[in-house]
Amino acid sequence: MPEETLSHPYLLSSEDLNYDDILKIFKKAKYFMDNIQSVKKFDDLKGVTVGLAFFESSTRTKLSFELSAKRLSADVFSFQSSSSSLSKGESLLDTLRTIEAMEVQVFIVRHQNSGVPVFLQKNTSGIVINAGDGKHEHPTQALLDAFTLHRRFKKIDGLKVCIIGDILHSRVARSNVNTLKTLGAELAFCSPGTLLPRELNVWNVNIIDELDDAVDWADVVMVLRLQRERMDSGLIPSVKEFSKYYGITFKHFTKKPELVLLHPGPVNYGIELDYLLSSYPNVLIQTQVKHGVFIRMALLSLLAKNLGH
Amino acid sequence: MNHYFKKIRVVSPEQKLDKVVNLWLKDGIIKYCSAKDTEIDKNTTVIPSEKFVASPGFFDMHVHLREPGDEQKEDVLTGCESAANGGFTGICCMPNTVPAIDHPTVVEFIKGKAKDNIVDVNISAAITIKREGKYLAPMLELNDYGVAFFTDDGKAVQNSNIMKRAFEYAGSKDLLLSQHCEDELMTEGFSMNEGMVSTKLGLKGYPSVAEEVILTRDIILAEYCGNRRYHAQHISTAGSVNIIRKAKDKGLRVTCEVAPHHFSLPDTLIESYDTNFKMNPPLRTEKDIEALKEGLADGTIDCIASDHAPHTLYEKEVEYEKAPNGIIGLETSLGISMSYLVNTGLLTINQLIEKMSVNPRKILGLQKIIIKESEKANLTIFAPNEDWIVDTDLFKSKSRNTPYNGMKLKGKPRFVINNNKIYCSNL
Repeated sequence: MPEETLSHPYLLSSEDLNYDDILKIFKKAKYFMDNIQSVKKFDDLKGVTVGLAFFESSTRTKLSFELSAKRLSADVFSFQSSSSSLSKGESLLDTLRTIEAMEVQVFIVRHQNSGVPVFLQKNTSGIVINAGDGKHEHPTQALLDAFTLHRRFKKIDGLKVCIIGDILHSRVARSNVNTLKTLGAELAFCSPGTLLPRELNVWNVNIIDELDDAVDWADVVMVLRLQRERMDSGLIPSVKEFSKYYGITFKHFTKKPELVLLHPGPVNYGIELDYLLSSYPNVLIQTQVKHGVFIRMALLSLLAKNLGH
Repeated sequence: MNHYFKKIRVVSPEQKLDKVVNLWLKDGIIKYCSAKDTEIDKNTTVIPSEKFVASPGFFDMHVHLREPGDEQKEDVLTGCESAANGGFTGICCMPNTVPAIDHPTVVEFIKGKAKDNIVDVNISAAITIKREGKYLAPMLELNDYGVAFFTDDGKAVQNSNIMKRAFEYAGSKDLLLSQHCEDELMTEGFSMNEGMVSTKLGLKGYPSVAEEVILTRDIILAEYCGNRRYHAQHISTAGSVNIIRKAKDKGLRVTCEVAPHHFSLPDTLIESYDTNFKMNPPLRTEKDIEALKEGLADGTIDCIASDHAPHTLYEKEVEYEKAPNGIIGLETSLGISMSYLVNTGLLTINQLIEKMSVNPRKILGLQKIIIKESEKANLTIFAPNEDWIVDTDLFKSKSRNTPYNGMKLKGKPRFVINNNKIYCSNL
């Protein structure tokens, strides 16, 4: 039997993954999940050097990728932009060439500018994985979100998912729209007008103006983090007003107890989400984090097959 | 420089001239221009020209020569050679140099560098000191040094009261004011057009209305101040075409230009995050492209100007959001215009010559070029049907920031003749 690989030898955007790719990743993630207790450490990435190039701060994504790579026996090194030559004015391209010269084969990239993984992939023979670029994409977050829903509901086809909050600046929203649509979900946005992008017909999603209507409609709400700087830049009148009209509280679950909630983290409790909900069984934030490791192990394992070692 | 262009099609719209002649240029003068053969002297080079068109020399009224201040990107001499190679005998350079062209000393410096060049360099100067939009530049004195065209190019005057004063002040000599129309409060941090593609790519958008708000305001001010002359630089949106069309219908003295990239490239190309698609104003949508073409065909858009904006490779090979705006255009402007406008049947060669030679000269108040015997030769000679592939290795510009490298075009510059010199294009 030929070894399974994905349709692209990298992951720059959620559009690189077709339906079969996503199911392959889910299957592999499930395999790792089922066997982690007995095997502990797999050798899928033995002899492979993985560079974590995080040009923007991150806690959970970085830890998750690091742990995933290590559980697959990769050699992992990480790179912090604050302590690097970037702060001395070295260009991104030079930094890439420097890391590449040390024979790194897989680059896991987080960057504050949209499109950086595309730019880097054009300039390297290694494999680039997008771990979040600016306001563009965060494809592994979408994969772990979809995997969480897949396990919860058994199938995603026909599932109604409403994304709530700052869609305009959200890479999580962009990736989730693609991945969930590929899997057949129906999508809606609920957001203040200033935090919605223009020309949403590019995605063919429903817009629901009122949060109560959104909750009525949805099987799943995906709540996004509200960055405090959105208020400083005048996009919303106040955090308090946002919280009043777009924050999820207990009353939504009282009305609809079967509602399932995802949040990519980190959560601003009291703004987009009531703290009382943090331990509510249908709030799957910790499950998402747990699944993140297996999804990233699956992705690394499938992509590493292209390295031909 | 004595040349005999045998059987060349001469097109000069202002003279209503369009015929095949033998054209003899001797000592910088048109010695002979007639369909019949003539005796020529021995030191004249004969050039078979059945496939060529000769027209009044092309003029690009929007060029960044980068000197003084940014000579690593371009200088006056390389910019002029790039212009000649692209088929232009005249250019107008923009004032966003370091220091800005806001004082006669800078004007004189550039004039000195451009002296005796085959390409005539016309100089525009800033409306306000240092292009800061605060205090009027000495427009009357600058006019004494030959400047008749004022713009804070790249940084539109934001303050409406300053712009009103500029119209009032420039009125005494009927000087031309021109703007790069951009409401900077709406475009802060932009990387591309605001729309479907920016939504998808997560890049901050520059809405079409940011251009149209300033354009509308300026037209209102120009009218209020006594129907002053106003030229809108590189318009890029369907809305702007409509605004200009209405202003012209009303009898206002408004003109505008369009850059070749705005009628040939849609913003969907930015999906590659190639920084050679980044400029200001940004690439727009297919709908805007259609409107710009319509504006070119119906005469709303007066001229084509390249907005030649050189940047070094290391400045452009960066994160998309960090890359500087602008692409070079002098060596592709004619080819793109021929390919997208003339060879598609949208414009005739006559109309293209109006937009690339006659109208820009008229807007800047330059001398009319006449093609007839004993007149000075100022000509562009191009091959309207010749296929070629853009190769940046052949460019004379110091910079290489173009999205057109490798593109196949139809219509190619061949020679320019001006100031008793001839330049043969190597493209």
